[in-house]
Amino acid sequence: MNAILHAQQLTKHYPGSIALDHVDFTANAGESIAIIGPSGSGKTTLLHCLAGILRADAGSITLSTPSAPLRLDSLGDAALSRLRREEFGFVFQQGMLLPELTAVENVALALMLNGTDRPTSESRAAEWLAALGLAGMEQRRLGELSGGQVQRVAIARAQVTGARVVFADEPTGALDSATSAEVLDVLLHSVAANGRTLLVVTHDPNVAARCQRVVELRDGRIVADSGSTVASPVQAAHATTNFKGAFNV
Amino acid sequence: MSSLSLALRLTPYLARSSGSSLRETALRDAGLPILAFGTVTALLLTVAGGSQVFWSWTDGIAGTYQALAVVAMVLLIIPLLTLGASAARLAARRRDDRLASLRLLGANSATVVWMTVIESTALAAVGAVAGAGLYACAAPFLGLIQFRGQAIGGHAWLSVPSILGCVLAVCVLAAASAALGLRKVVVTPLGVRTRQTADGAHWVRGLIAAVVVVTGVVAMGMLSSFGAFIVIIAVMGGCFGLALLALNLMGPWILRLRASSQLKRAKGPEQLLAARTVLESPKESWRQVGGVAMTSFVGVFVGVGMAVADTMGGSAGDETALLVRDINTGVMITLLGSFLMVACSAGVNQAAAVLDRASTLVALDRVGMPRKLMVAARVKAVMSPLFLVAGISAAAAALLVLPLTGAVLLTQPVVFLTIGGVFAAGFLLVRLAVAAGTAQIGQVLARPERYASMDS
Repeated sequence: MNAILHAQQLTKHYPGSIALDHVDFTANAGESIAIIGPSGSGKTTLLHCLAGILRADAGSITLSTPSAPLRLDSLGDAALSRLRREEFGFVFQQGMLLPELTAVENVALALMLNGTDRPTSESRAAEWLAALGLAGMEQRRLGELSGGQVQRVAIARAQVTGARVVFADEPTGALDSATSAEVLDVLLHSVAANGRTLLVVTHDPNVAARCQRVVELRDGRIVADSGSTVASPVQAAHATTNFKGAFNV
Repeated sequence: MSSLSLALRLTPYLARSSGSSLRETALRDAGLPILAFGTVTALLLTVAGGSQVFWSWTDGIAGTYQALAVVAMVLLIIPLLTLGASAARLAARRRDDRLASLRLLGANSATVVWMTVIESTALAAVGAVAGAGLYACAAPFLGLIQFRGQAIGGHAWLSVPSILGCVLAVCVLAAASAALGLRKVVVTPLGVRTRQTADGAHWVRGLIAAVVVVTGVVAMGMLSSFGAFIVIIAVMGGCFGLALLALNLMGPWILRLRASSQLKRAKGPEQLLAARTVLESPKESWRQVGGVAMTSFVGVFVGVGMAVADTMGGSAGDETALLVRDINTGVMITLLGSFLMVACSAGVNQAAAVLDRASTLVALDRVGMPRKLMVAARVKAVMSPLFLVAGISAAAAALLVLPLTGAVLLTQPVVFLTIGGVFAAGFLLVRLAVAAGTAQIGQVLARPERYASMDS
């Protein structure tokens, strides 16, 4: 597998504590990786640093791109913003969607920020929503959708731009167990079908069990890494059936 | 323990802060509402004190002054009350995170509402007392203002009970506004967010406003038939006051119409966000621009006042010359008060708007929206409707004064110059407030963890 995101000696301090303590981490293209650990272990901080949301105090993060490797730690705020909207997608526990926009506008906004015109953006956004089971709900505002549906909108937004890495922070944390399983299915299948890399921070062992690789953090250090495993043929076939027809992936 | 008594015990406890940074934060968060309440109180007392001078006169020409005083009071008091409500709302929103924490700890909604009301009222009380102090400091200088050829002196001093009454009124306004303002937000253990249902801004608002303005125009045309002078003054003041209230009623509906049209035409993300921001809450958007609308309304009266003064000044006898000079003085004071109100209102509303949208800003930042695009959307959402609302307000005011002045007076160059100047100054003040809000966006994005959980 090819490394897509590589962190070396990543260190991050908060007042009175160390969140990341010389962490080395590599994510390979197409992997789904669960980052687990107790509260305060540094898993969300690691996710935020890898995504360019937080800056580490020391260490380096390198993103492989088709042209040349890109050092995130040397980029300015504007360049990091650009990277987040072009290369990365995000699914958070609270959705982090815009309540004033409709479902389709929330998804289309990610494309519009990259310069795609509005009709094309909304058309592609509607395709994604339909593929994720939200056909007919495009014009609904977030307040008119259930928690699981809101997370599906977030999943669509995270991937509509063709982001190569999807970051998810407790994406099912606010959902009941049945909805949580459905949302996780949608997230894993859509990511797998499109060959994307998924990094998911979770407390939920059920979520971790569904990922190809599990990395455990404790006190800011990686204490266990299951290593990469290949997705089951059943999972891959299922994913392809669900998503390949809808998108040019 | 009742919700009220629990809130009374918790509020001072949570108001404590330790450490310099927390003190600075508390000062910054509380400063704007206190400043706004202080300005409201000082202006209310000044207007009341000034009007008291006119009502102390009993000679033949006193009626003219009293009529003008009623116009000035109505033109200033309604926007001031609107500003007071905005300040109360800001006071309520600035402690969102603490309220959410309390909900997490098990405090019920009633306790949270009471705490907000108590805090807002306390801030209003501090601001109102400071405003009364400001009035007391300014009163000797106000006493130097000349009407009828003499300084008004101590006549502008209000009695202590009147001042206390005004302070109390501001506190009551703050308490009521805070309680009403909380109906718009949901305080949950996970944070505070605006309710998901978009504000209604029904077309009935436009209809009611149109009926009020037309009725006002008809009433102004029949002013002389009302007989008793006091009735004429009451009708005139009532017409102006109702017209201002009608503008407040109609404004959100107009903004919604315009934003709907802009949404259809939006091509880029900033246009889409700007239109959706207005549609999310037309009333909130109206608060951003309502101050300029009110001042534009006042601007027409100021322009007409100057035109009247010009017309009368040419062949004035002693008494008329004094009246002309006094009209000029009065309109300048009204205009100054109006601009103070706009500046304060713009600052308060921008600060509240950025706080209200903090979670949205954090979400946009996370998905990589450049900050300059966020700012562009914000500037567009506020500045774009300004021309429209200022124009409509000026037109409504012109319609109302037309029966009194006639078209010739209303089309004097001085009227247009004054209105143009008022528009320009109002726009500048709002733009400055938006710029201040832009700086606040930076503060929000510097502490995203404080606002991220407020999202839907």
